[in-house]
Amino acid sequence: MSITLRVILLVAAIVTTIWILWQIRKHKVKLDGAIFWILFSIILIVIGIFPELTYKLSTLIGVVSPANLVFLVIIFLLLEKIFSLSLVVSQLQDKIEVLSAEIALLGHRNKDKSDEE
Amino acid sequence: MKQENEVKVLIIIPAYNEAGSIEKVTGNLIENYPQYDYVIVNDGSTDDTRKICHRNDYNYIDLPVNLGLAGAMRAGMRYANYYDYDYAIQLDGDGQHDPLYIKDMLARMEETSCDIVIGSRFVSEKKPKSLRMLGSNIIGALIKLTTRHRINDVTSGMRLFNKKMIKQFGYDMHYSPEPDTLAFLLNSGVEIEEVQVRMYERVAGKSYLNFWSSIGYMVRMIFSIVLFQWVRIRRNKKCR
Repeated sequence: MSITLRVILLVAAIVTTIWILWQIRKHKVKLDGAIFWILFSIILIVIGIFPELTYKLSTLIGVVSPANLVFLVIIFLLLEKIFSLSLVVSQLQDKIEVLSAEIALLGHRNKDKSDEE
Repeated sequence: MKQENEVKVLIIIPAYNEAGSIEKVTGNLIENYPQYDYVIVNDGSTDDTRKICHRNDYNYIDLPVNLGLAGAMRAGMRYANYYDYDYAIQLDGDGQHDPLYIKDMLARMEETSCDIVIGSRFVSEKKPKSLRMLGSNIIGALIKLTTRHRINDVTSGMRLFNKKMIKQFGYDMHYSPEPDTLAFLLNSGVEIEEVQVRMYERVAGKSYLNFWSSIGYMVRMIFSIVLFQWVRIRRNKKCR
């Protein structure tokens, strides 16, 4: 793994961490939502500082280049994130539908009441 | 009717699928503690919780979707803020918390003029040894480490809040009714006191927590207490 790649990993990790912490401060992300990105950064930092780990792991699973393994790990992590986000989006859609229906019903009930008066 | 100078106290009862116990809990409040107002926050229950509240003509608000404990408490806090209550206390819908101790907690709040009083199982009593208590100890140790304050029962849900806290819990995105918020608030100069209470095993229904969600809970608490609390904006210190 080249020194350039390692530096890029470290810089990416630090930037991600600072960015997500800043978003917490600005109330743009919930604390739960930030944990994934912190863990993600930690993994990048570990890979960047101890490349021997990726060497060992790549011989173990038979990947020729350790750099490819790094990409693979990152892709897996991001795929997992997309997958869980997709679940969350579906649940949010469902909640919006229920909320809209309930608000519409509430408006209807209020209209009935004011018609009676 | 309440006297003019009397403080207004609201009991917030978050209830998610508590059909088996909500009648007992609320009936007890109405019968034996008429001096306190209460509101049930039905957190999108899928069982008969809403029907029971409606049939008994309980004072309840009905969340159309399930938000979880944090969302339910937030709704309760907003209710308390809207109707201008001086104090709000969380009392779980499963019958774990005994309203008998509200009096002691209120007395402590008035005499120390603190912001939060925790109904604590372990002020004078010893902690039992269990997996749950191990989690509680870890969180307690982290709070001690980061705030220099000891809280004996960090996971107790029975917490009494004053007006300032009601506002902040109702309107700030990061204020969950969890121990990490206590750590953050302690570091912001908020005063927290503890009063010994007894708690019971839940009468019926299921807890919010199972094994995996407990692990997730611990991870959230550790991250939040160790890292996130330091980047959050501390409004209490600045204005007072």
